[in-house]
Amino acid sequence: MKIKFLLVLGGILCFSCTKNDAEIAYQPVFLTVEQPSNFPEIVYNLENNPVTEAGFQLGKSLFYEGKLSANNAIPCAFCHEQAFAFTHHGHTVSHGVNGGIGTRNAQPMQNLAYQGEFMWDGAATHLDFQPVIPITSELEMGETVSNVVSKLQADSYYQNQFKMAFEDGEINSENLLKALSQFMVMMVSSNSTYDKYVREEEQVTLTQVELDGLATFNNKCASCHATDLFTDHSFRNNGLSINPRLNDVGRFAVFENPDDIYKFKVPSLRNIAVTAPYMHDGRFATLEAVMDFYDSGMVDNGNVDAILQREDGTLGITLSSYEKESIIAFLNTLTDNEFLTDERFSEF
Amino acid sequence: MKILKISFALLICAIVSSCSNDDDNTEDLSGQTGELIIKFDNGVGDQDFIFDTSYSKSNNETYKLSTLKYLVSNITLTDTEGNEYMYPSEKNVFIISEANANNAGEIYVTLEDVDAADYTSISFGVGIDQGRYALGADGQGDFLTTAEAEGMMWSWATGYRFTRIDGTYSSSTVTDEALNIHMGSVGTSIDNYREVTLSLPNTVLIREDKSPQIHVVADIAKLFDGTTSVSFDDGYAQVHVDETTTGVIANNAADMFSVHHVHNE
Repeated sequence: MKIKFLLVLGGILCFSCTKNDAEIAYQPVFLTVEQPSNFPEIVYNLENNPVTEAGFQLGKSLFYEGKLSANNAIPCAFCHEQAFAFTHHGHTVSHGVNGGIGTRNAQPMQNLAYQGEFMWDGAATHLDFQPVIPITSELEMGETVSNVVSKLQADSYYQNQFKMAFEDGEINSENLLKALSQFMVMMVSSNSTYDKYVREEEQVTLTQVELDGLATFNNKCASCHATDLFTDHSFRNNGLSINPRLNDVGRFAVFENPDDIYKFKVPSLRNIAVTAPYMHDGRFATLEAVMDFYDSGMVDNGNVDAILQREDGTLGITLSSYEKESIIAFLNTLTDNEFLTDERFSEF
Repeated sequence: MKILKISFALLICAIVSSCSNDDDNTEDLSGQTGELIIKFDNGVGDQDFIFDTSYSKSNNETYKLSTLKYLVSNITLTDTEGNEYMYPSEKNVFIISEANANNAGEIYVTLEDVDAADYTSISFGVGIDQGRYALGADGQGDFLTTAEAEGMMWSWATGYRFTRIDGTYSSSTVTDEALNIHMGSVGTSIDNYREVTLSLPNTVLIREDKSPQIHVVADIAKLFDGTTSVSFDDGYAQVHVDETTTGVIANNAADMFSVHHVHNE
């Protein structure tokens, strides 16, 4: 009798053990990164880091995880809020741990798989390594990668999540960065009114003012804001006056090449209506202010891009008031509400 | 006569058996692996390198260092037949830090499970090649955190320091000015990875039951007075991302290595 009972108990114990092991094992369910027909080819090498359901979920947990920062309170999402296309709404520049104030405006996070260089100055040349910059910046998350790894290793949730997401199950910097990339490459914004119009979906049309804006945009803006990503991925000096408090030299900081002084990345314009304020230092609160700047606000700071020079040698892109109004109407068609509310990327 | 015949037969036997023994040896190597220790030993000309000791260089300049580190990767061995053996890529990156040296000033790099063979040359890269950068986090394991702990990772941009030197220098115009060389590749635009190939003075025998050592000497003097002689006063006291100065130091670094001797034990 006693023996029978023990056998049954043993059976239950064994069964429950196997069951638990199965739940926290690496059983990859692969996810596909979207390739919209109107987008250029994916740049990110998915073969080296194929996206799995568990890896994506882990990346999402890490994106919303305060432990990535020194005071355990500043996750990536602190400066990258979904409702604003993952920008820091209303902040010209962001603040981080210990009251640190950054020097640049948080950029939107979308369509990162289609880009090869990151940050306003291109200081990151692989998406996997980009998170190292904000994690270790004293003005942002103020941590070390090693210490983040230690904190995660001590957390039972992450002990299980890493086992499910990666074959070797290790909590190390490689898998930490791979999981963050798996989350980021899935963040594709490609379902704005404009996208549906160009792909001729759902019989979406643009209004006359939006179409006029698109025509002017193609004429006067699209040489830099090229392709349906709305960037040619170049770095340019667009003639902003220099803020002496920041004196941000832009891409010059990366190579110390005098040709790079005051150059910043040409940003994508997707979801631009919700990502105010604008420019690398967030100096313009509205798109109207941006239009006025391109029409008449540029200054010769010594290295302005030749493409922004008029035939008479003055700087700027001449825009009538209707052109400004219609370009803004067109830019508003780039808002992708499906992306901004997509629960796959939401914290809760 | 009979004795002569027997001894002749024995002699033949001996020759045949020793021949077949040799054959057996070559065949035995397949599937066999062994350990190899590479000892990096930093020096300055004919002196051993010692922290906070003043060394003279060209242009009447002197320098004292408090940090001396460099990154070595892609160690490859070539055998007598010309076959190349490359240590597995994911384990094939090492930070050579003078601070980790033993009392003899040697920094040990131990390679395990190296294919058994008779190797005649060694090659390695100084820094991280573009191929490895392009892999992103893939295959990096813990290296990023190791590099971070050693101060060999950048945080302002994504990349590794290939060479890290901190100290002071003095010249005819300045005394104890800061000397900092923190350089690597910058994205795909500035590639400062360099490869070094050194032939071995005697063949290194990798066998299951042996633990041979290759003693590599790095002449730090050549960093500043190597292929190109540089002057600290003239832009080389602070070398970080400038394309010209980092390239010159990278070339000099690749030229500072030599194999002093090989132990087969």
